[in-house]
Amino acid sequence: MAHTYPQTAGKQSASLGPRRNRRWVGAAPYLFIFPWIFGFLVFTLGPLLFSLIISLFDWPIVGKVHFIGLGNYVEMFTDDPLFWKSFGVTLKFAALFVPLNIAVGLGLAILLNQKTRGNAIFRTAFYLPSVISGVALAMIWSWVYSGDYGILNYFLSIIGVQGPDWLNDKHWSLVAMVVASLWGQGSMMLVFLAGLKGIPKDLYESASIDGAGKIRQFISVTIPMLSPTILFNLITSIIAAFQQLTLALLLTGGGPMKSTYFYAMYMYENAFKFFKMGYSAANAWFMFLIVLTLTFLVFKSSEAWVFYEGEMKRKPEKKSKSVRRGRSA
Amino acid sequence: MKKKISLIVLTTALTMTMLSACMGNNESANGTTTQPESGNGSAEVKTLRFATWDTGDALKIEQDIAKKFEANHPGTKVQVEAYADGFDQKLAAGFGAANPPDVMYMWDFPTYHQSLQPLNSYADGDKDLNKDDFYSGLFNYATIDENLYGIPAGFTTRVVYYNKKMFDDAKIPYPKDGWTWDDFQSISKQLTDKAKKQYGFGVRADNDTYDLQGFVWSNGGSYISDDGKTINGFMNSNETADTIQMFGDMVKNGSAVLAGGKGQQSGEDIFKGGKIAMWESGIWPLESFRQAGIDVGTVEMPAFPGKPVKGVVAESALSIAKDSENKDLAWEFIKYYVSNEAIKMRVADLPVRESVVKELKKDQDPLYKPYYTMLERSDNTPAFLLNSKWNEVNRQLSAAVEAVVHGSNAQDVLNQAVKESERYLK
Repeated sequence: MAHTYPQTAGKQSASLGPRRNRRWVGAAPYLFIFPWIFGFLVFTLGPLLFSLIISLFDWPIVGKVHFIGLGNYVEMFTDDPLFWKSFGVTLKFAALFVPLNIAVGLGLAILLNQKTRGNAIFRTAFYLPSVISGVALAMIWSWVYSGDYGILNYFLSIIGVQGPDWLNDKHWSLVAMVVASLWGQGSMMLVFLAGLKGIPKDLYESASIDGAGKIRQFISVTIPMLSPTILFNLITSIIAAFQQLTLALLLTGGGPMKSTYFYAMYMYENAFKFFKMGYSAANAWFMFLIVLTLTFLVFKSSEAWVFYEGEMKRKPEKKSKSVRRGRSA
Repeated sequence: MKKKISLIVLTTALTMTMLSACMGNNESANGTTTQPESGNGSAEVKTLRFATWDTGDALKIEQDIAKKFEANHPGTKVQVEAYADGFDQKLAAGFGAANPPDVMYMWDFPTYHQSLQPLNSYADGDKDLNKDDFYSGLFNYATIDENLYGIPAGFTTRVVYYNKKMFDDAKIPYPKDGWTWDDFQSISKQLTDKAKKQYGFGVRADNDTYDLQGFVWSNGGSYISDDGKTINGFMNSNETADTIQMFGDMVKNGSAVLAGGKGQQSGEDIFKGGKIAMWESGIWPLESFRQAGIDVGTVEMPAFPGKPVKGVVAESALSIAKDSENKDLAWEFIKYYVSNEAIKMRVADLPVRESVVKELKKDQDPLYKPYYTMLERSDNTPAFLLNSKWNEVNRQLSAAVEAVVHGSNAQDVLNQAVKESERYLK
């Protein structure tokens, strides 16, 4: 394209010289992309690097800023019980949330993939929670979980169970958070549903000709064919679990007795309640590294369990050949 | 495909992680939009920015006061900025961006005093202000290292509210000043009827340790040594632990209900519903109790046997930013704000001037009298004024208090809190 344009333009205004035109034409793509680049630099990369810098400072909003090197990181690891406590809470939450989230999302997607009457209504109904904003969602759940007046304990009382005061009982609050978080995951279900729709019918047909039952088909056809989608959802789930803040902030405020004091909340409070910007930035970078490491590990492991369409799992040397062929084409 | 996904994942991870970093920027951007036109001949009108945490009726009153001030000072515009719940964040962001409001409500002097204008030279000898007319103890709360950083605008002490009808129904005489915590606990027990979901007293699930200080002092304890350097032996002393344990015990033995947890009704709401007979608080809920039709009485805090009752003051003051370009005008505004005229307009606040109290006979009204007698008992210095790192210590102390009202042993958790907090005092 850069080749043809100057020729025609040059004919129109030869006197101005083609060189100038060429320069403009060359710049055109960058001009188009400029708004995004600008936004990225100013609102994304800039703050990112800035936060790395301030993590090396004692940086109260009000008062004097001074450089302390890795002091924030050292304090975090060696001297702050709340850091470990909140990190533990987040790990526990992630360990409960991620598998359940995948299972529920996949389960719902499979149910919605059945050809039944009123399918569209169900799809809408199950997706609806993800349209609700996090704040409204928290309000709804705070009513559901209310010990005295909540609908959950009302249903439990019908079957003769005296439910706990979910959000004020340190043994149940985290479970309550996991369940509430699961509720708004319609988008994950949608991605799974799209993945299910993408599996060719003939695979199931040939499987059933080979005598595979429903369960065998699910294990040998559905799961492998869906594995890239599972990978994607797994990673976004992990990230979501580590970022969980809205619900903690609104539903429990981290309590009771710090049982739902998520790492993100610890970070948030350091920054916006105690105004320790440098310390909070250090917290954030630690979290970023953790998430990055987990993501990396999942990717590494994915080579063993994720299958891409058209890809054949063969011996290593043959695989590398197919890659090379793909590149030349 | 694989590469693409990894790219997507990486960018998602990046953006999500940065969300928190961006929030700070939003705040400061908020601040800059309201930058005043510092009139260098460009405009005759001087704009004074006044930041308040109030909302609703109280905000309305403050706006009216601002309008009156504008009328008395032609060429002045007072821009009332209602920060509401985000007050601390917005104020901190304003200071951080070197763009603070000129005048602001203030209570947390240890955190902000470096950015505030010392007012001694303004206040001393200003006849219009008439410093001697204020309740003298109030200035202590706004003074750090001999520097006065705020002029008291409102205050409240804490009293016990009681529902007269519930006392009448149970044929229990109303509590009187000079009662003890033993009286309090036995009354609470008598007025509790779990079958009717009715309780003698409500304990907050989420206590502000600041408010509990009055009780701790009344029992002869304190959170921190007078020089502000030691917490071991203070925050975890027997006196402190016993005081906090008392509230935990009342929840445990059923003579009080834990109120105001997440998703639970607040203690105020239950009191308004006539299901709590006694409630402990400042002046704030009084008006709403009346509006709810509760025949409410107030009484001084109970005493620990043989020890004097102590109170704690929650005070709001007005301060001027060090960076303000309109300090003289700001001072004029503050003076008007604490003048007799403006104090009378602020009906929700307890008057800070003795002359106004006398004129309105507030100290003779049985409903208001306890606030003023408690004020006389409030001569201890709260912990946050004694140590600049108190916020950090308080984080552990709050967790300990929460644990106690949820059933933990006060002495144990306070020992733990002291252990985890001592590093901040080095």
